[in-house]
Amino acid sequence: MTPSHNMFTFLSRQAVTAATPMILAGVGELVGELSGVINIGIEGTMLMGCIAAYTVTGVSGHGTVGLLAAIAAGMVMAVIFAAASVWGRADQIVAGTAMDLLGMGLSGMVWMMYQNWRENLGFSTALLHGSGFSPVPIPVLHDIAYLGPVLFDQYALCYITICLCVMTWWVLHRTRLGLIICALGDAPEACHAAGVRVRLGRSLCLLFAGASSGAAGAYLSIMQTHAFATNMTGGQGFVVLALVIFGRWKLPGLIGGCLFFGLINSLQQTLQTARYTSQNTALHALTHVPFQFFQMLPYLAAIMALAIMSRKAPGPRYINVPWPEAKT
Amino acid sequence: MAATSLALKLTSISKSFSGVPALEDVTLEVAAGGVHGILGENGAGKTTLMNIIAGLMRPDSGRMEVMGVPVPLGSVRAGRAHGIGMVHQHFKLVENQSVLDNIVLAVGKYIFSRRPRKLLREIDYWCRELNWPLDLDVPVGSLAVGRQQRVEIIKALCGGGKILILDEPTAALTPAEVDELAAAVAGLASAGMTVLFISHKLVEAVRICRTISILRRGKLLYSGTVADLSVEQIAEKMVGAKVDVPRLTQTAGHTETPPMLELVDVDYRPAKRGPSVLTQINLTVRSHEILGIAGVDGNGQSALAALISGAVNPTAGRIVHRSSGPGKAPIRFGYIPEDRHKEALVLPLPIVSNLLLRSYHQRPFARWGFCRFGAWRKHSADLVRQYDIRCRRVEDAVATLSGGNQQKIVLARELSQQPELILAVNPTRGLDVGATAFVLRQLLEARERGAAIILIHGDLDELLSISDRVAVIHRGTLAITAWPDTTPSQIGRLMLGGAG
Repeated sequence: MTPSHNMFTFLSRQAVTAATPMILAGVGELVGELSGVINIGIEGTMLMGCIAAYTVTGVSGHGTVGLLAAIAAGMVMAVIFAAASVWGRADQIVAGTAMDLLGMGLSGMVWMMYQNWRENLGFSTALLHGSGFSPVPIPVLHDIAYLGPVLFDQYALCYITICLCVMTWWVLHRTRLGLIICALGDAPEACHAAGVRVRLGRSLCLLFAGASSGAAGAYLSIMQTHAFATNMTGGQGFVVLALVIFGRWKLPGLIGGCLFFGLINSLQQTLQTARYTSQNTALHALTHVPFQFFQMLPYLAAIMALAIMSRKAPGPRYINVPWPEAKT
Repeated sequence: MAATSLALKLTSISKSFSGVPALEDVTLEVAAGGVHGILGENGAGKTTLMNIIAGLMRPDSGRMEVMGVPVPLGSVRAGRAHGIGMVHQHFKLVENQSVLDNIVLAVGKYIFSRRPRKLLREIDYWCRELNWPLDLDVPVGSLAVGRQQRVEIIKALCGGGKILILDEPTAALTPAEVDELAAAVAGLASAGMTVLFISHKLVEAVRICRTISILRRGKLLYSGTVADLSVEQIAEKMVGAKVDVPRLTQTAGHTETPPMLELVDVDYRPAKRGPSVLTQINLTVRSHEILGIAGVDGNGQSALAALISGAVNPTAGRIVHRSSGPGKAPIRFGYIPEDRHKEALVLPLPIVSNLLLRSYHQRPFARWGFCRFGAWRKHSADLVRQYDIRCRRVEDAVATLSGGNQQKIVLARELSQQPELILAVNPTRGLDVGATAFVLRQLLEARERGAAIILIHGDLDELLSISDRVAVIHRGTLAITAWPDTTPSQIGRLMLGGAG
C-alpha cells in the first residue's frame, strides 16, 4: 500500500464517520419535509439525543440503553413539534426555531444538573470504560480493499444507517406508503379524499424524523466521542437542513451532500494536525493560522456548494402549509 | 318499491357550518342503476351533500344506507368499502405522480404493494369497458383536464365501485368532451352502476339524467323523474321564483349623440415581430346602448378588452374617448374583467376592502390621508343590500363567497360609481340562472342610466337578448352585423368565419 493510498482510505473512512449522524438525521428530515412539514428544530432534537444518550449510558452503564433513550428523547421532541405545527397550525419555521432553542437550553441544563448530581454522589461524569460504543469491523467484508476499512469498520449505528437508507429509498420509491408520504406534501387534499388522515400521517413522519435525529445525537456523544459538551452538535442540524435542499429532496443527493461535508471536515482535521507534524514547509507555515479557520472550512464549502448547485429546486408544494388549509 | 332496489338511502341529513345551515333534514332515495341528477344553484348544498355521502364530511345528524346496509358516516374508507366513489369538481390528484400511482394511492389496500395485480387487472377492465385508452405511466399533471377526469372516474370505479358521484363534471369540459362523458355515463348506467350527476346546468342535466333531485338553500325540494317536470318548472324550483331572462325591450335609435368611445383603424401586435392579434378594428359606442361583441373564445377578445381598458396601447390606430379633449375630466369607466379571481378581486381581502378598491382614497372614504372606516362600512353595507350580496359579515374574505356573490361584488364596485363607459367580458361565466339574470339586469339598468356598454360575451343567447347592436370578432377582425335585422344563426355563421 502506498502512503497516498493509505491517506485516501483514512480520509474516506473519517468522512463516512463524520457523515453518518448527518445522513441519519437527514433521512428523517427528508421524510418529514416530503410529508409537508419542515422541521428546523433538528439541531435541538440532536442535542437532546446527545444528552439523553450520554446521561443514560453513564447511569446504566449500557450504551444500547443510552441509544434507546436518545431515540425516545427525539420522539418526545417530535411530539411537541407535531402538536404545535401539525395539530396547532403554528408556523413551522417559528415552531422549529422554538424547538432549537428548547433543545439547546434544556440539554445544557440537564448536563449541569447531571454533573452536580454525579459529583455529589462522588462519581465521575465520564462514561465507564466499555459502556460507550467502539467501531465494530464486520468479519470478511472489512478485508475488502478500500471499501472494507471505509464502510465496514465503523460504529454499529453506521451499519444501521446504511440499512435505513436502503429501506427508506425502497419505501419511498417502491411502495404505496411512499406514494402516500409524497402526496401528503404535494397534494394533501388528494390524501384526504382517499381516506388518509393527513395530520396523523404527517405526525408519524415527524415521529420517524425525531427518532432518527435522536439516534444521530447519540452517535455524537456515545460513539464518535465519549463525551458531552454544551452545543456539541455545532450546527450540524442546520447543515442537514441545507443538504436536504441541496439534494433536491432526493435521498442519493442528500447522502452525497453529507459525504461531501464529511470529507471536507476530515480534510480540515487532518490539515490541522499535519501542519505541526509535517516536514513540508508550506504546510508548516499554516501553524500561524488559528484553528477556528480550519473548523470554518466545511461550513464555507457547504454554503458555496449550495450557492452553486441549488438551482431552482421545487420542493414539496405544501411545506409549511397547515392542514386543513382553511380553518372551519 | 322493495328496499333492496335502492342503491342509496339518506335519512334526515343535516349539516351546518359555524351556525349557518348548509343542509336541513335532507332525505333522499336513489334507485339502483341509472343516472340520478342532483340539481341546484351554486351554494345550494349539492357538494356538501355529496361530500357527506362520500364520507369526507360528517353530518351533524342523519343516517345513510347503501344497498340496504347501514354505512357509518364520516369515513371515506367505509364509503369505499360499500362501493361509493366520488369525482370531485376540483380533481384530487397528485400532479407529479403517474396515473397508475394516483390510482394505487387512492384505491390500494396494502401499504407496501405499489403494483397490486388485482388492481392492475381492474384498471385494465374499466379502460376497455369505457373504451378509454390511458397511458398509466405519464404524470397526471401533464394530461389535459378531460383526461384527468377520466383518471378520476376510473379511480372511483376501481376497488368495486357501485355508486359513482360526479360533482359538476362538465364544468371544465369542451362541448365535445361533454358528449363523450355523457355517453360513458350512459354506458355505466346500463351496466348497472348508479351515477349521481351533480350540476347547476339545467339543459345538460335534463339530457343526461333520468331521475333528478333538486336542492335549494340546503333543502330537498323535489325528487323524481325528469319527465314529470318541464324545464321551466325545474328552473323555477332551483331558483325559487320564476326567472325571466332579462331582455332588451326597445333598441336605441339615436345615432346623433357623440360617441363615448371610438376605435379607429386599431391594430395590435403583442410581440414586436410577432403576428397581429387585432387588425383594422373600427368601433363606436354611444350613450344608452349596449354593443355586444360575439365570437368564439380566443379570436382576440382578451386583446380587445386589454386595449379598451387601457392595459395595453394599440400598435397602430387611435382610441378616442368622448372627453379626452383638453380641459375636460376623463370619463368614468367601469370594467368587469373576464377572470374575476385574478383581475377583479383580491380574494384574501375582506368584502369591504374589495368594494372600495377603486375609491378608498377619495372622499368621503378618506380624509387628509386617513381612512374613514365608518364611511367604508356604511358604504359596503349599502352595496351589500342593494346588490343582494349574501355574506355573513362584510369583514369576511371574498374567497369564502360563492362565484355568484363574488361577481356581485365586482358589479357593485364597478357600477355604483355611475360609470359612463362599461366594459364587461363574459360577466356571467360560471354563474347559475339566478345570478346570470341579476348580472344582465344590472347591465340593462346601467344602460337606462345612460352608460355606453361594450359586452364581450361568449354566450350568444344572452348577448343577443340584451344588445342594441352586435359585432362579431373572428381572427382579430371585427364585423358589425345588421342586428336586430339579422338572425342568430347568421351571426353564428359569422362567428365561425363564414359569410353572414
